[in-house]
Amino acid sequence: MGRQRFWGRSLARSRKLRFLLAVVVIGLLPLAFTGSYWRTNLIVCAINVLLAIGLDFVLGYAGQLNLGQSAFFGIGAYASTLLVIKLGVPFWAAFALGTLGAGAAGALLSIFAVRLRGHYLAIASLGFAVITYQVLLNWISLTQGPLGIYAIAPPPTIALRWLGRIPFTDLANLFYLTAGLTLVVYVLLDRMLRSPIGETLTAIREDEISAASLGINASRWKVFAFAVSSAVAGAAGCFYAPFVGTLVPDAFFVTESFTILAMVIVGGTGTLIGPAVGAILLTLLPELLRSIGDLRLILYGASITLVVLFMPGGLMQAWRLLRSRLYLGAEVP
Amino acid sequence: MTGIVLQQGINGIVIGSLYVLVALGLTLIYGVLVQINFAHADIVTLGAFTAYAVTHFLGQSYFAGIAVALAVGAVLGWLVNATIFSPLRDRGNELLPLIATIGVSIMLQNAMLALLGPIPYAFETPYSNLVIRYGGLFLTVQNVLIVVVSSVSIALLYGFMKFTFLGKALRAVAQDRETAGLMGINPNHLIMLTFVIASALAGMGGALLGPVLVLTPFAGTSVIVKAFAIVIIGGFGNIEGTILAGLLVGLIESFTTQFLDPGLIDIVVFALLLLTLAVRPTGLVAEKREENV
Repeated sequence: MGRQRFWGRSLARSRKLRFLLAVVVIGLLPLAFTGSYWRTNLIVCAINVLLAIGLDFVLGYAGQLNLGQSAFFGIGAYASTLLVIKLGVPFWAAFALGTLGAGAAGALLSIFAVRLRGHYLAIASLGFAVITYQVLLNWISLTQGPLGIYAIAPPPTIALRWLGRIPFTDLANLFYLTAGLTLVVYVLLDRMLRSPIGETLTAIREDEISAASLGINASRWKVFAFAVSSAVAGAAGCFYAPFVGTLVPDAFFVTESFTILAMVIVGGTGTLIGPAVGAILLTLLPELLRSIGDLRLILYGASITLVVLFMPGGLMQAWRLLRSRLYLGAEVP
Repeated sequence: MTGIVLQQGINGIVIGSLYVLVALGLTLIYGVLVQINFAHADIVTLGAFTAYAVTHFLGQSYFAGIAVALAVGAVLGWLVNATIFSPLRDRGNELLPLIATIGVSIMLQNAMLALLGPIPYAFETPYSNLVIRYGGLFLTVQNVLIVVVSSVSIALLYGFMKFTFLGKALRAVAQDRETAGLMGINPNHLIMLTFVIASALAGMGGALLGPVLVLTPFAGTSVIVKAFAIVIIGGFGNIEGTILAGLLVGLIESFTTQFLDPGLIDIVVFALLLLTLAVRPTGLVAEKREENV
């Protein structure tokens, strides 16, 4: 039992430690990787982590499959960029509006489908992703269609009295910004999920009727979870645009939704850390295995299917199994 | 003007009857299993490429191509059930098979992309260029063939479900799997049969679609999104509803192309889907029967 006590140290303290560890790792990463290639990949990782934890909030906790993440990602990216370019809205206001807009679109969509089985919501959101792609492609006067929008400026330089000017043309600073935002969203979602909200969502996932008998309005909470998930994807989009510098509709094709789904499934639904790890793994792995080239998506597809069949809890389940093997005394949760 | 309307009406029915073939498979599986096979789209694509290979590489007739595509579809259906749906049946999570088949679909699609490339294949059948003109109307024999083959298969399927013992057993499994099991029906065999029938239809649909659609590894995906819309509009698991909704979507597609803009097709279809979900989530066709295979 001694080992149990050692591992059973105060959970809150361990969370704080992990948070500090994450801050330190994020701080050190751009120092360890100085080349622009790897720094670019780090930013892609941060954006993908954001997308993955956003999807997991609605899939892993509320048990609703949102196949429209690509659309909400795109809405955030296009809305914020167009607000800046066409209306001259300051970047951070456009960021807020893009995030809210994507969240509102998600809420609106889910209202249509929440009364029904999860399948309907999945298909409605898939259809929504197809439509959004078509709108981006065909509304040429607004989005310039397949030609795309070019030369999108990075986020404006921040001047702080005690740090000096921070230009986001520098990839390291841009990484700190995106990773910082991702960490903030992570902590917010984590707090939310540890509050009664998390238990409410899990109750709906496990058994909607029992949840209703406890006075939980399942429809309302599904709309809420869907809106949060879409808003997080929208926020990721707001950063994606100025990071990549160009916007083309193809970046927000339905396939992108499946890519995000692969990250969540591989990492392990129903935990936040799992999808974050899954996102990092599935972003970096294809980069390390350059030779596989275009087979990247085959890898994603295979990983989804194999994980669902053989390790439905993803990497997190694998980790728990491994830990229980290593520390024979520990219980398998 | 009447000429255009009639012509587009014909085009709509041609494409609509293909959609019905694809959507019927989805709805059959949903009726029996309450599950969605996302890889259905890729069975359609594989059916199209199978027929292409049989006619263009092996030099066989188009009908042989259709038959082989049907067989390939049936085998794929059997495989998908045996490897994905059967092991996941008792996991109790309705979304797991859907997610797993999304993975299968991504794999198949990108494997085809790696092997066959993104450039569309020109699938010419002897019937593509045989044109029937009547008044101002224009119709290829291929189009007639599509309508005839799909109507006959749909009628056969309908008769099978309604009048044969096996069809009745299938409907029994759809209504109540456990009770059907108590009556001496083996649900596992019938679920397998459903997958084989549904996927054979999809493979055949692909062979018929190949010559009229842009044949790329993504051909099935463009069809499947509409097929999903069709099964929801028609009511999941409802055969009559699916047939009507399929023809309706076909007509919407041809008239949108004519009078609005081809880019708006998906938008109009999806608007109809959302409207259905908002107004009549069980589908546009009134569902008075308790059974809904």
